[in-house]
Amino acid sequence: MEAVLANLREWYQDRKQRLDLWDETQTARQDNPMYILGGLVWLSWMIVIVSGIVLMLWYIPTTTGAYRSIEHITYDIPFGWAVRGLHKYGGDMLITCITLRIYRMYFAGEYKKPGELTWMILFSALVLAMISGVTGYTLEWNQRAFWAAKVILTVPTYYDDIPLIGNLGLGHAIAYIFLGGPALGQGTLTRFYSIHFGISIVLAIVAETWFYRTRRRRLNVSAFVIVLVLAFLAFVSFINLPDLGQWANNNRTPLPVLSDWYFLALYQVVKYMPPLWAGVAPALLIGYGMLVPFLDRTKETLPTRRPFFFVVGLLALIYWIGFSALIMLNIAVISRDPPYIWGITVIVLFAALLWELAYRRRQAQRAAAAAAAPAGASRPAPRPAAS
Amino acid sequence: MKLDRRGVLKALTAIPVVGALIAVLSPLFRFLKPNDKPWGIFTITPDLPQGGAQVVGKVSQLAKPWDSFYFTYVQKFVQYTPEGQEASNVPGVAIRLPKKVKFVNSEGFVGFEGETDIVLFSRICPHLGCIYNYVSDWHEVSAGYGGFRPPGFEEHALMACPCHFSIYDPEYPDNPGNVISGPAPRGARYFRFEVHGDDIVVTGAEVGAIAKCAPGAVAGAAAPPRET
Repeated sequence: MEAVLANLREWYQDRKQRLDLWDETQTARQDNPMYILGGLVWLSWMIVIVSGIVLMLWYIPTTTGAYRSIEHITYDIPFGWAVRGLHKYGGDMLITCITLRIYRMYFAGEYKKPGELTWMILFSALVLAMISGVTGYTLEWNQRAFWAAKVILTVPTYYDDIPLIGNLGLGHAIAYIFLGGPALGQGTLTRFYSIHFGISIVLAIVAETWFYRTRRRRLNVSAFVIVLVLAFLAFVSFINLPDLGQWANNNRTPLPVLSDWYFLALYQVVKYMPPLWAGVAPALLIGYGMLVPFLDRTKETLPTRRPFFFVVGLLALIYWIGFSALIMLNIAVISRDPPYIWGITVIVLFAALLWELAYRRRQAQRAAAAAAAPAGASRPAPRPAAS
Repeated sequence: MKLDRRGVLKALTAIPVVGALIAVLSPLFRFLKPNDKPWGIFTITPDLPQGGAQVVGKVSQLAKPWDSFYFTYVQKFVQYTPEGQEASNVPGVAIRLPKKVKFVNSEGFVGFEGETDIVLFSRICPHLGCIYNYVSDWHEVSAGYGGFRPPGFEEHALMACPCHFSIYDPEYPDNPGNVISGPAPRGARYFRFEVHGDDIVVTGAEVGAIAKCAPGAVAGAAAPPRET
């Protein structure tokens, strides 16, 4: 027991030393723009925090005042549109950068030793960023926000249906705690406001402590990139400020009703699955993401040399894009589609497994051949004892 | 871990520490969910919404088969705000069916004593709580709700949810309002109602309007009738 704890401590100390969250110095590849994503994550996060604090000057967190106050910010306050645009598109950029970086780390095998802890922190960051996203767009108190919040917070109630455990009321407790009661209302808005602000501010303090203690750089990109990002976000806000939509109406769900873009695929999956599974599946997905460094135990980083995990990542990417496309095209025949999706998933995963096994067998044969060959020929030169 | 004298003493000292932790955390949960009694966090306290009796419409509005109207039934929900409560609308739909049915669902909730050709459904989707629509032409369901095509005997008015495309048949045999397509785990929820002359009076609603609760419970039944 003590030995296990000591090992864990040693593992943690070592990986903490080699954390590579923002400056990307461990993998520095100046020739590849995918390796400034760490800095861009920090930059967009700071844009979101600063613009968010400015928005708080005008925002009113009540069911009756929220929508109006955002209208006021957007159309009456000088440069209010710019602040709101920076906040919205900065948040989108944050999630885009984290997602791209996760895919980069996955396909380049950067989650392997010593990158496990970096990967796990980054994956948790994606989950927290998505929670910030959903709590944030509920603050607009428009139709899309209202129904997204309602759907998401009804999912936990199905946790009380998990077989064998029985109904402990825990699922309802979770829903009630976040809703501030059994219904979506003022209690929910206040709680979401607190969570939305709290996540970023607590994490920012933790991150600053880490910067202070390690002397790592926050923003390892050139001034040109920073100016480019700011100009781009301001330009997008100027030409295409997101529409507020309609005021939340608890008597009417619009058709079609969509969530923010990073939830679209999940939204489509919820249509296909029984509700309990729709609640459990994202948890399994997060679990897979957190544990993948320990499941994929080879040292290979090239995708073709670890076929199974490569295909799993590819499938996730294709499903994410495919489901998002389906929901935007408003296609979901629930009585027809799920068997196809399951079928494709099982076949592809099975094929990936076969590929993996075939690859490993070929490797083993090659190793055996390499070991057998010198026996018949001249003996190799003796190696130095200590290498 | 060895179970020697030191180990036992350590374990014994841990008990009050863990106890103190739980004692500290319990009120913290109650800070977030104030309606619970101390230690009651894991027991279900449904905070049942209250509504009472409300006239929601007239029988004469439903002259022909498949005639319908929307209405709202107002209930008070507990909210963890300074007001403590919030009035919330439960949107409903009243439908005249072509033939009389027993308005009892498979969860055992009795919506109407005896047989009736008027049925009242809560429009809050039992799946994840969106508001579904009564669609009088099933072609519109096929066009707008993902492409579902009902079998021949169900080619009539249907109810369909915009969020995840659960589709309900108000005339489903032995379980009016049952789900016929989509992810919903059960059929549409009922109102309990009576007919007084030309008035349709709702006296209660199946619980589960917002967050779903135990099946069969009645919300608002215990509240004193309210004049409307």
